[in-house]
Amino acid sequence: MSSSNLIKIAIALIIGAAFGLVYGWLIDPVEYTDIPPGILREDYRMDYVLMVAEAYQHDFDPTAAARRLAILGSDPPAALAASALEYANRNNFTPNETQALQTLLTAMQTHQPQGVDAP
Amino acid sequence: MKRTAPLIVLALLAGLGLGLAYAWFIAPVEYVDAHPAILRADFKEQYRLVIAASYAATLDLPRARARLELLGDTDPAAELTAQTQRMVASGETMENVQPLVRLAADLARGFASDPFTPTPPPIFNTPDVEFTPTMDEIEAEPFEEPTETLVPTLAFDQTPLAPLEAETNTPRPTFTSTSGPGAPFTLTDQETICDPSAGNSLMQFILLDSRGRQAAGIEIIITWERGEDRFFTGFKPELGNGYADFIMQADTIYNIRIVTGGSFVPNISAPVCIAENGTTYTGGLRLTFQQ
Repeated sequence: MSSSNLIKIAIALIIGAAFGLVYGWLIDPVEYTDIPPGILREDYRMDYVLMVAEAYQHDFDPTAAARRLAILGSDPPAALAASALEYANRNNFTPNETQALQTLLTAMQTHQPQGVDAP
Repeated sequence: MKRTAPLIVLALLAGLGLGLAYAWFIAPVEYVDAHPAILRADFKEQYRLVIAASYAATLDLPRARARLELLGDTDPAAELTAQTQRMVASGETMENVQPLVRLAADLARGFASDPFTPTPPPIFNTPDVEFTPTMDEIEAEPFEEPTETLVPTLAFDQTPLAPLEAETNTPRPTFTSTSGPGAPFTLTDQETICDPSAGNSLMQFILLDSRGRQAAGIEIIITWERGEDRFFTGFKPELGNGYADFIMQADTIYNIRIVTGGSFVPNISAPVCIAENGTTYTGGLRLTFQQ
């Protein structure tokens, strides 16, 4: 087999791979169906934190609030509340919503999670 | 050229396969801005709980509905009800389940129910009267430690006491009871349902609050000789927020207890109905309770 044929075959291989990548990444990418909340779009995550803040204003249960925030990932609850408050300030949330997030942030900053007793 | 053409096609296909394998398995698209509709089922349940908890605080039904729609449920109210049943079955407390029941009921109803308001202070239905302590009440007052400034004076002008015969009892204020959330339910109506087409002999409950509105989330306990069952109203919002039902067996005596308020109705059994052809069958009951 001549070198020109080898080059043609290599080019065909590259073109095929390129088609495969385009199809697999752009045209028909992998569809996720069971995702964790940590990779939700930012506005959805912030709305989730806002819901937790609103619920906290009703039940004043910092443990429940921290537990609800924990599903958003490994960030500390106070950091999540702080980022939500920052997002709220950037996006013109209502004063009530901002106040709720501020209250949640204060609660999460002072909340001491219950430790596990040593055996 | 004739020999290389198949090789080129083969190389194209091989490249395509390699590209797809890389794009789908080795380095698939990473989701960073995902939509709540593709959350894992348990995370969706947590999401619904938080929506319901938020709704309990804000009573913003359109917003709660919009948030539920993000989860992609075809029937959000039914999904809430199903989740409620799953939670109750897994032993969750009513306190945790209540926000879901309420949100499901309000979604089915189409408007937010009244927020819980504590029982108002007692209303006195007698006109204001100036309180005049009687002798008994004066004597019944607790003894207070005397202080130096309260040393009794030996001589003072005693206001003449009214003669005992002239003493009249000061009218006592009358308490007007009001039904609060914990007021007992009483059985106000018991209706026999004879429907030969009904598959089961149902004991249907309709619980109404003091204003006559259907009350969701009321726990009912039914006991009989060999068992016990407990359930809540509001799990079938399509039949009413205060609706619940229970399948009766023939020739069994049931005792009903409405947990809220502690009402107890003993000796309930399935009625016997007579069909047009003269045969008998077990009918159902519809029991209406009101606070």
